[in-house]
Amino acid sequence: MSLIASGYLTPANVQEVVSLKRKLRDKALVVAGGTAAVQLISKMIIEPQAIISLEKVPLNYVKIRANSIEIGATTPIARLIRSRGLPDALKRAAESIHGLALKDMATVGGNIFTPAPAGDIATALLALDAILILRGGGGVRSVPLSKFYKGPLQFNIRPDEILTAVKINKPPKHSAFLKQTPWKYSGPTIASVSVSLDLDRNGKARRAMVALGGLTTHPYRAKKVEKMFTGKKLTEQLIDGAAQQLTDGVEVIDDALASSWYRRELAQVLFKRILYDFISRG
Amino acid sequence: MRIRFKLDGQDVEVDVKHTDTLLKVLKDKIGVGSVNFGCGEGSCGACMVLINGRLRYSCLTLAGYVDGKEVTTVAGLARDGELSEIQKAFLENDAAQCGYCTPGMILTAKVLLEKNPTPSDEELFDALAGNLCRCTGYIPIINAIKSVAKR
Ligand SMILES: Cc1cc2nc3c(=O)[nH]c(=O)nc-3n(C[C@H](O)[C@H](O)[C@H](O)COP(=O)(O)OP(=O)(O)OC[C@H]3O[C@@H](n4cnc5c(N)ncnc54)[C@H](O)[C@@H]3O)c2cc1C
Ligand code: FES
Ligand code: FES
Repeated sequence: MSLIASGYLTPANVQEVVSLKRKLRDKALVVAGGTAAVQLISKMIIEPQAIISLEKVPLNYVKIRANSIEIGATTPIARLIRSRGLPDALKRAAESIHGLALKDMATVGGNIFTPAPAGDIATALLALDAILILRGGGGVRSVPLSKFYKGPLQFNIRPDEILTAVKINKPPKHSAFLKQTPWKYSGPTIASVSVSLDLDRNGKARRAMVALGGLTTHPYRAKKVEKMFTGKKLTEQLIDGAAQQLTDGVEVIDDALASSWYRRELAQVLFKRILYDFISRG
Repeated sequence: MRIRFKLDGQDVEVDVKHTDTLLKVLKDKIGVGSVNFGCGEGSCGACMVLINGRLRYSCLTLAGYVDGKEVTTVAGLARDGELSEIQKAFLENDAAQCGYCTPGMILTAKVLLEKNPTPSDEELFDALAGNLCRCTGYIPIINAIKSVAKR
């Protein structure tokens, strides 16, 4: 922490980050890849008294174990593409983030905090039922990603905590992610859908998880659709019926990029593409 | 705060604020001509540099991050007044018109070819998705990169 007087702090490990967070709380801005955080500063949205850079904190790792996967919070998106043994949904979401520089700078942890049209990795992780590992003055806490978003830019994290890793327990056997952008090779996410499935011996869904991104500030799970699938064999009829319920009761973003009507329709199309493809492969 | 780093092989020392971006420091404080300001939000790629060999948007990087590191701009690719192969290929293929995007295009191409010496069209387009060009229509740029990939 040689630069402590300077305002640009480079703690060497999680303990040092936590002690800085305890002291500085929201006066300091945590910066991982910086792709969203630095814009908060350069656009003069915030004026932090200090920067806590995670560049030296050893949280860049992917650990694949027999029945779980753990990914360090500062792992760049590019590393997800190179790693073997990650669920398809996560790989596809990583590939969908465009351009060499962005893939190498943006981190998994940062993506969880960044609102729509970002959050592609968060959407895939939500469909994989990921759990967030948080560390703070009070020790370690596990929070399911499905319980992390409390409202727009409001997270279930305390002022002295940071995210250290995401964990996927019992990775689902099948998973997929699809998103739509205005242009083929780049552009903001208009809508994204991620689905994870485990089937029993008779081809019935033992576990079904469906996450939608780009429609709301942070991704959400379509619980109603998941219930419709659980214990059932997936048929076109069931899929079509479920698609109608994806955005039920959800206030979908309506902006210059796309109307809420368009986003809802698009989400249904992406959802059906994923599931038709799935049943067509048996 | 004072930071020290290598810029295109030369040692530099400069006073910065903890909230300054690297782009601001390079352009406004040091007067570097081989990086450009386009959007300031990661959308155009005109500000790209290599930091310890990795491709970075300097508009999304805080200056404090490069303390003790090596920053390379497109100007740093030339050796003893001789342009690098990829720079020559851009000239030969008329891949620069106004030249505003060229620093980022060349650095992206360099990093891509280091990782993947024979990229497919799909891989090329995906790699260049973070670099906008408003002049060339991209075809001469793609041709320039492919001409190096072939050699
Ligand atoms: C041009 C451009 C295109 C983009 N395209 C896409 C896209 O296609 N899909 C997509 O999903 N995203 C996209 N993004 C958004 C980008 O992927 C995310 O912003 C990125 O994942 C954020 O990661 P980061 O490491 O850069 O986060 P940072 O910018 O460093 O941080 C973002 C926020 O998270 C907080 N934070 C970061 N890490 C931690 C941690 N470990 N603990 C606690 N808080 C933390 C920071 O304090 C900050 O508030 C794009 C961004 C740009 C600039
Ligand atoms: S100025 Fe940095 S990407 Fe446009
Ligand atoms: S040559 Fe002018 S922007 Fe590319």
